[in-house]
Amino acid sequence: MVVLEDLRQIVGDRVTASPTELYCYSSDASLVGGMPDYVVLPKSTTEVAQILCLASEFEVSVTARGAGTGLAGGAVPVKGGIVLDMSGMNRIIEIDDDNLLVVVEPGIVLDKLNEALEPHGFFFPPDPGSSAMCTIGGLISNNGSGMRCVKYGTCRNYVLDLEVVLADGHIINTGSKMLKSSAGYDLTRLMIGAEGTLGVITEIVLKIIPLPETRKLVIASFETAETAGKAVIKTFSSGIIPSACEILDRTTIQVLKRCDPDLLIPDDDVVLFEVDGTMSSVDESAQRIVDVCATLASSIRIASGKSEMDEIWAARRLVGAAVSRLDPAKSRVYVGEDAGVPLKQIPNLIKRVQEISDEFDVPAMKYGHIGDGNLHVALFIDVMDKSQWKRLMHAADKIHRAAIDLGGTVSCEHGIGRAKAQYMDDQCGPALDTMRAIKAALDPKDILNPGKLGL
Amino acid sequence: MLVMKRLAEGSKANSDDLNCLNTCTTCGICTENCPSGVDPPQSIEDARRILVSSGTMTDTQSSLSERANFSGNVLGDSSSRIGWLRDQRGLPHKADLVYFVGCLASYRYPDIAAKTFDILRRFGAALLPDEKCCGSPLLRTGFDARELIDSNLTQIKDMGAKTLITGCAGCYTTLKNSYPDEFEVLSVPEFLAEHISELNLKPLELTVTYHDPCHLGRRHKIYDGPRKVIEAICDLKEMKANRNQSRCCGGGGGVRSGYRDLSLGMARKRLLDVPAGVDYIVTSCPLCIRNLNDAGGDGKVIDLVDLVSEAIQAIGK
Repeated sequence: MVVLEDLRQIVGDRVTASPTELYCYSSDASLVGGMPDYVVLPKSTTEVAQILCLASEFEVSVTARGAGTGLAGGAVPVKGGIVLDMSGMNRIIEIDDDNLLVVVEPGIVLDKLNEALEPHGFFFPPDPGSSAMCTIGGLISNNGSGMRCVKYGTCRNYVLDLEVVLADGHIINTGSKMLKSSAGYDLTRLMIGAEGTLGVITEIVLKIIPLPETRKLVIASFETAETAGKAVIKTFSSGIIPSACEILDRTTIQVLKRCDPDLLIPDDDVVLFEVDGTMSSVDESAQRIVDVCATLASSIRIASGKSEMDEIWAARRLVGAAVSRLDPAKSRVYVGEDAGVPLKQIPNLIKRVQEISDEFDVPAMKYGHIGDGNLHVALFIDVMDKSQWKRLMHAADKIHRAAIDLGGTVSCEHGIGRAKAQYMDDQCGPALDTMRAIKAALDPKDILNPGKLGL
Repeated sequence: MLVMKRLAEGSKANSDDLNCLNTCTTCGICTENCPSGVDPPQSIEDARRILVSSGTMTDTQSSLSERANFSGNVLGDSSSRIGWLRDQRGLPHKADLVYFVGCLASYRYPDIAAKTFDILRRFGAALLPDEKCCGSPLLRTGFDARELIDSNLTQIKDMGAKTLITGCAGCYTTLKNSYPDEFEVLSVPEFLAEHISELNLKPLELTVTYHDPCHLGRRHKIYDGPRKVIEAICDLKEMKANRNQSRCCGGGGGVRSGYRDLSLGMARKRLLDVPAGVDYIVTSCPLCIRNLNDAGGDGKVIDLVDLVSEAIQAIGK
C-alpha cells in the first residue's frame, strides 16, 4: 500500500488497484496471464522516471503496455507489480517533413499517426494487421512490421532516436534526429524489440517516407505452395521488389470469402503481389510480374482498380481473427503463429506445417508474408475440448521447432514475450548469454518486464 | 468482455464490474466490426440478466425496474399515456393497424406522437386502449419484462391487430425480437417509405443529415427507408460516420439513466459527425433526439415525422 500511496503522489488519480481494472490488464491476445498489483497511466516522461525510481527503490516490477494487442504476452505482468499503460502518452509532438521525420509519444495509435502524416504526403510504413489499435511504442518494442516490410523493412529501419527511461529512473536519448549516425553503440536498435526489458520508451523520432503515387495488385493462384514460392523467387530475380507479397492458402481463401462473398479470388493457393510507385513504374512492374509468373500460375490477373484492391486488403487484414466464420464451433488460438524461414524454405515450412496439422488433427489456416519468409499459421480448435488443447500445444511446439530446423525464427514480428521464451536457447544459442549480460547491466534488479525473452 | 470473463471465472461482482457492464449502450458497432462474429451486446445483456436474477444491480437499475412495473412506463409518469391526443372520442376497438407510441413519445414528445398518429390514422391505424412500456428498458438492463409484454400482447390480440407500427427504435427491436411472431412490426420510416407516393410530399428548401438509431440501423438494417423519405423532401448530407458505422447517441442500454455525463459525452462526440451547412439532424428514435439535443443539438435534432409533417400537402385519399 506504500507503493500505491507513492504512485498517487506522482500521478494523482491515474493509478488503480481495483480488481476489475487489474484483471483487464492481466492478459493480451495470447494465452499468457499475469495479474498486476497496480495500473498507472503516466502522462509525461518525468512521471515515468519518478515511477521507475520508486519501483527501483522498492524492487517492484514494471511492465509497459500499449494497446494490449500483443500476441506473445509481452505486455503481461507475469511477475505482478506495476503496469504502465502508455496509451495516454499519445501526442504527435512534431511533424517535420522537411527533415523527413516525425516526433511522437509511444501511445499514439499507428493508423492515427498515418492519418496525420497523409496530408503532408508522407507515411510510416510498418503496417501490422492491428494498425487500427496498436500503439507505436508497442510496435517498436516488438520490432513489428507487416505486409509492406518486404519492400520497406521493419521498425528498425525507421527509428532515429528514442527517449528512454532506464530502470533506475535516468533518462537517455539513444540517437538523434540524424538520418544516419556512427556515434558509438546503436542503442536505438538495442531498445527496438527489447519488449520493455531494458527501459521504458517515452518519446520517439521516426523517419518517414513519401507516399507512393499509386499502387497495383496482381492476384495469382497456384496449384501448390511450392510453385507459389518459386514464382515469388522468380519475381525478385526479375528485379521487382513488390510493396507486399502475401500468400493465402486454400483454407484462408475460404475464410476470406466468408468475410466478403463478393471477392473475386480463385480457390487455389493465392499470392497477392502489390507494387507501388509512379503510374508508369507501377504499370510496368505489375505487367512484368504477370509475365514472369505466367508459366507457373494457374491464373493471374491485375486487380480491376483501387476499390477491388482495397476490398481484398481489408479482408486480408481481418482474416487472422475471422477463422470462426468457417466453423463457429472453433476459435483461433494464437500459438505457433509467427514462424519465419529464409525465403527459399517457405514451401518447405508450409509442407511441414501441413504435415503437423494432419498429424495432430488440428486444422491450420496458413497465410503470411511470403516475400520475407514470414508464415502466419492459424491453428483453430474447439476451446471447450481439453483434448484438442493438448494436441494444439504439441502442434504449435512442432511448428516452432520446424522453423528453427529450417534456419528460421520462432517470431518474425510478434515478439517473444513469455509465449515463445522457451525457444530462446535454441533460437539464439550463446547469444542469449550476451543478452542476459546486457539485461543485467541495464537492469540489475530485474524490475523491467521480468520473465520475458527467456532472459 | 474481460469483465464477464472475470465473473465467469467465479469472482463476485463489485461496483466496478457493474459500472463497466452497465456503461455499454449495446449499440452493436463492435458486433458490426468484429471479424470473429462475436456479439458483445448479447453477452452484456445476458450478463446483466444473470446478475439481476441473483439480486446484483445498481440503485438506478432497481428504481428503473420499479418505475416501469409500477407505472407501466419507464418515466414513472402517472398521467394519461394519450394526453397528447386532443380528440380521444371514437377510437376503434378493432383494427388491423396499430400505432405503438412508446413511453418517450407519449410523455416527452407529445407533438411527435400526435403528428405520427395524424399520418397513420389516415391509413386506418388505431391505438392500444392501455398501452404499456414495451419492456425494452427492462430487457436491456437485465430484468424480466413479462408482465408488461403480456399486458400489451393481450391488447394486441383483442384489437385483432395484424401490423404494429412504432416510431421508437427501442420499441421496434423489442416488439420484433421479444414478442411472439404473431404480427408484423414496422418502423415509422419503413411505413412512410412504403407509402411515400400516397403522402403528397411537398419539397422543402432544407438540407438535413440523418442519424441512424442503433436499433433501426445496425440491429435491423433499416438504412434506406428513412433516406428515401428524406430525399423525397429535401437534400440529404450524410454524417461523417453513417449507416452501419454510425456512432451511438449514447442514450441506449440504460446508459442515459445511469451514467448521464458519459451518455452526454458520447452524444457530443456523435454531434461532431454532423456535416457543415445542415438545417436539421433528422432521426427516428425519441431517445436519440433527447440525448443529442441535450448534448448540444439545441433543438436541431428532429424526428423524421416532423420533417414529413412539414412536407405534407395532402394525404392520399
